[in-house]
Amino acid sequence: MYLKARVLENRFIGHPSQKIYRLVLSGQLALEAKPGQFVHLRVAESYDPLLRRPISIAGIDREKEKVVLYYRVTGRGTEALTRIRENDYISVLGPLGTGFTIPQTGGILLIAGGIGVFPLFALLDAIDRTKVQVKMFWGGEHRLFLESADLNYLQKTGADYELATMDGSAGYKGLVTDLLQAYLQEHASGHSFDSKSNSGTNPLRVAACGPKGMLQTVVNICRQYNIPVEVSLEERMACGVGACLGCVCTVREGNGVLKRKRVCKEGPIFSGEEVVWDDQV
Amino acid sequence: MIRSEQSAEQNHVCLETDLNGLTLRNPVLTASGTYGFGEEYAAYCSVSQLGAITVKGITPLPRLGNPVPRLAETPAGLLNSVGLENPGLEEFQRTYLPKLATLDTAVIVNISGFSLEDYALMARALDESSAEHGNCIKALEVNISCPNIEHGGMAFGTDPRSAEQVIKTVRENTKLPIIAKLSPNVTDIAEIAKAVESAGANVISLINTLLGMSIDIDTQRPVLANKFGGLSGPAIKPIALRMVYQVFETVRIPLIGMGGITTWQDAVEFMLAGASAIGIGTANFVNPLAPLDILHGLVAYCEQRGYKSCRELVGLAH
Repeated sequence: MYLKARVLENRFIGHPSQKIYRLVLSGQLALEAKPGQFVHLRVAESYDPLLRRPISIAGIDREKEKVVLYYRVTGRGTEALTRIRENDYISVLGPLGTGFTIPQTGGILLIAGGIGVFPLFALLDAIDRTKVQVKMFWGGEHRLFLESADLNYLQKTGADYELATMDGSAGYKGLVTDLLQAYLQEHASGHSFDSKSNSGTNPLRVAACGPKGMLQTVVNICRQYNIPVEVSLEERMACGVGACLGCVCTVREGNGVLKRKRVCKEGPIFSGEEVVWDDQV
Repeated sequence: MIRSEQSAEQNHVCLETDLNGLTLRNPVLTASGTYGFGEEYAAYCSVSQLGAITVKGITPLPRLGNPVPRLAETPAGLLNSVGLENPGLEEFQRTYLPKLATLDTAVIVNISGFSLEDYALMARALDESSAEHGNCIKALEVNISCPNIEHGGMAFGTDPRSAEQVIKTVRENTKLPIIAKLSPNVTDIAEIAKAVESAGANVISLINTLLGMSIDIDTQRPVLANKFGGLSGPAIKPIALRMVYQVFETVRIPLIGMGGITTWQDAVEFMLAGASAIGIGTANFVNPLAPLDILHGLVAYCEQRGYKSCRELVGLAH
């Protein structure tokens, strides 16, 4: 869809130093949106900054036709986005890209690094927790960051989660991937996953979003336990629809041949197994 | 949904554009490398309202292209170093051409090569497969900005003699109209324009991207994995416009002006400078309806000024 969406809310949340905003859009895009997809926003009417900004969808309310986004101010584009006010209209291209697989049975571990938690909020929300066992592991710099990135929302969902911070100010002190490793050491034997039938007894899967290094570690850990993992990738993007080939990632196909895929079109959700993490390719 | 307010067909201004044997229903086309193979924008912008689409550049063999980052945003501009990623000639003929043949618009295929043989091969093959698919290719756009591997890697398009050789080679191998796409990374673009005209090009399109770079001051490294990339977007418009103006005074064949065209006013400027048609590139990324918005603006401008045909604008600024 290509439309003008009304801004219901665009406000700073949490501590000023963390520069995180919550942006709520109203409109039909909520009817089509799936967890894992993103919207491509025009941040201002001018041509400088020139490009749209891709923001992943963090919440979908089909009934009220609302989509929730979060963004961190990191440059001129997101800075311009903060100046859009309630009841303004913003040009939206999307929802774009592929979505996460939403499990109907078994269990899923959601692994989030930093602001990578936001698309996982949408996935968490879409899972029927009476049928699927869900646990989130979320790592961040420190407690202040986690609180500023709406830890409160996660608490309110009632979902099972564990935190990791680099300074130990909240949860485990260290990397979020340590939590995943420890959890699987303890629990993985209770799950089995038959990748052919995409089922099994109490199948377990993983969905992850965060920095590349973290995703690579998550994929390596999942490989040890033969657990299917989906990762949400990020890349500098221009068109958002697959035309410009700016935002590619490299995948290895079954026959070992390397191939490019477009993060905006074939992604941003990829099977962790297919992604080639070497930047030099 | 944002819909274009009026259909371009309903107005009284004649839009038909004759480019020396290549006839388009209107003068607005999409620039190569910004419109994929015509499928990507289909959900947003009806190709039947476009004068033509120019597809992503094809090389004889498939190319993975450059590593990422391939993009860097600059003030009112965009640097890219995609590195000619494409499925290669065979896959293009097998998978993409049959789909392109069904589109209700003129299709221009952009070709790139690293030797004269490459260009000859592509021209021959596409000439044949166009005939097999109901003459669906209306023209070949020849990208002469590629490095000539056999001669130290200097770009064909930076030297009048090698530019002439490339176009001559393509001319000898195809009956399709040839659009020579010029690189702006030269000392004297008029000289290159004269060379490709004498070699048999039907049309000249200009400009390709300007070579530039961006450096990350945190990491103190170039942003693009390839270090350098091609600059496009509104930032390069004055340069593109100047080059169109210069080349218009040098050659007799028609010009397709491109380089940062984002608004209908930009399009009018290019036509006044001497472009018979205009290409929309980076603006598509910002506004998927940019080609239609620009076309409608152009028509309104002509109507308001009493022009019967948009052809009347071409070169008026001289």
